[in-house]
Amino acid sequence: MIFRFEKMIPLPLLEQDTEGSEVWEAPSLLIEQGKSYVVEAASGRGKTSLLSVMYGIRHDYQGEVYLDDDNISSFGWKKWSALRKNKLSVIFQGLELFDDLTSLENILLKNNITAYRSRDRIVELARALGMEPFLNRKAGILSFGQQQRVAIIRALVQPFDFLLADECFSHMDKENTFKAYELIQKECSERNAGLVLTSLNETDLPGINTRLML
Amino acid sequence: MRLIYQILWKDHSRTHLLGAFLGTLAGFVLLLAGIQFYIDIKSVLAENRDLLDPEYIVINKKVNIGQTLGLGRSGFTEDEIKELSEQAFADQVEPFLSNEFPVSGYTENERFPDFYTELFFEAIPDEFIDVKSDEWVWDPELGNIPVIIPQDYLNLYNFGFAPSQGLPQIPKGVLSMINFKLRLRGKYGFDDYNGQIVGFSNRIHSILVPLDFLTWANEKYGYFDKSNPSQLIVVSKDPTDPSIIRFLEEKGYDTIREKLKSSRMNIILKLIISFLVVVAAIIIGLAFLVFLLSLQLMISRSSDKIKKLNKLGFHYREISRPYILLLLVLMIAVTGLSLLVTSLLANKFHGMTLEWSLNTSSSLHGILFGISLGLVALISLANITAILISTKKLCK
Repeated sequence: MIFRFEKMIPLPLLEQDTEGSEVWEAPSLLIEQGKSYVVEAASGRGKTSLLSVMYGIRHDYQGEVYLDDDNISSFGWKKWSALRKNKLSVIFQGLELFDDLTSLENILLKNNITAYRSRDRIVELARALGMEPFLNRKAGILSFGQQQRVAIIRALVQPFDFLLADECFSHMDKENTFKAYELIQKECSERNAGLVLTSLNETDLPGINTRLML
Repeated sequence: MRLIYQILWKDHSRTHLLGAFLGTLAGFVLLLAGIQFYIDIKSVLAENRDLLDPEYIVINKKVNIGQTLGLGRSGFTEDEIKELSEQAFADQVEPFLSNEFPVSGYTENERFPDFYTELFFEAIPDEFIDVKSDEWVWDPELGNIPVIIPQDYLNLYNFGFAPSQGLPQIPKGVLSMINFKLRLRGKYGFDDYNGQIVGFSNRIHSILVPLDFLTWANEKYGYFDKSNPSQLIVVSKDPTDPSIIRFLEEKGYDTIREKLKSSRMNIILKLIISFLVVVAAIIIGLAFLVFLLSLQLMISRSSDKIKKLNKLGFHYREISRPYILLLLVLMIAVTGLSLLVTSLLANKFHGMTLEWSLNTSSSLHGILFGISLGLVALISLANITAILISTKKLCK
């Protein structure tokens, strides 16, 4: 799978100075499966907008975006729903967890759509991030950093060709960030998936193919 | 999928749903019970032949002073009969046949005082007469003329005339046993026949003889000018039709209003049932609205969650499923409960009417199942559509 951007820019950014941006100013940009990208920028430069367009929850942009050879503006809810089940996974900046459900239930909710992982495997993933003791706690009472780790695990319990991670380490310490990043990279290479990571300043992450300055 | 139900059901309003549920239940019970009892009462009335059988209406022209002075004829012309028979309410119109020769009756019996009177005869086909008697036959060989007189004549005598004159009252059976002579006078002579009262009519206020007799007698003795029939009998399947009264008034015809009043029972019954149905429809309509609004409220309360689920890749149809399931469970409960309550009511009603020696059904009429299923299907369909529309709106 390849995302191809043809002079795509979200409408709200048109009024902004985007000079020097490697995404908004590029005549054509490819984001390919199997590669890792970090999109770096300060707040308000359109990191989340970029991921939202790729995930089909924002449609207000200029220019064209192609997924393989299809223009994504022609996709209906049916296509997007199918893509989100099997091709695209996302870690939202706002996490989008259900506060009333436990961590495990939040993960299972997603896993049940495709039954991609066994319960044991989910517990293993949680253990890898040090979240096993919190699996039966309601997501609403966890710290934001812990919630981020739940959201990361939830994003990994489905098949995908691209993982879109929106500032998913923002509230984690260095050690946890490293563990989570390692897990994400491992899962991505297992699926030969592409990774698009937005970040304020994660400069020292290994294994990144391309850095894009917004 | 248990989790998505858990998430979305959390936002229901128990009081709204309970109110909608009870309202729908009440509406259903009212509607079903109304229909059940309507069918019951209708069948009870059908046994009671006077009320729902076709009504026989005897029509005559109003008598005015012109006729008294001999200036006008009170009979119906052929055109008028034709016009009447073309009316929608008139299933059958039959003119009365009158005698075209003088008739008189007298008694020749030692046990009764001598009695003599001039008479008239009228005849209509047997099917219009409410008295069925084996003796109601004309056999020229025997020369016996059966006669039917109005019940009211006998009442007039028994309860009016006889007590005031110190005369004995006469029961029906005795009157039927009295033989009297009928003298039919032709242009060139007369013949005497035996007459016998074979019955008393509640429907027709006239002295009736069999039609084949009168046709025969008019042929044999008649010499009057043929006159137009002065009375018509009209058969109407629906005597409750208000156009009957309208037509009669417009034309200046007259009838015994009491006859039409007897159908009032039917009108009142229909009125009560239609009132009940309207009330039930309003209640069901309102309850349906409350259902619709509670589900919509539930959806809008959950709109954030629905958006989240959509972002996680849930199809809007999967998201609607918990709402639809909830709706269907409630709807099935409404149908089941309303049928149960109605059948309990029917049972109770059956017990009550037994005491009045009326026979109503103790079980539900089949049509009720059809009606309730149809209604529930309709309500569910409309709600499901609304659910799908509003969840789809929240999904991108």
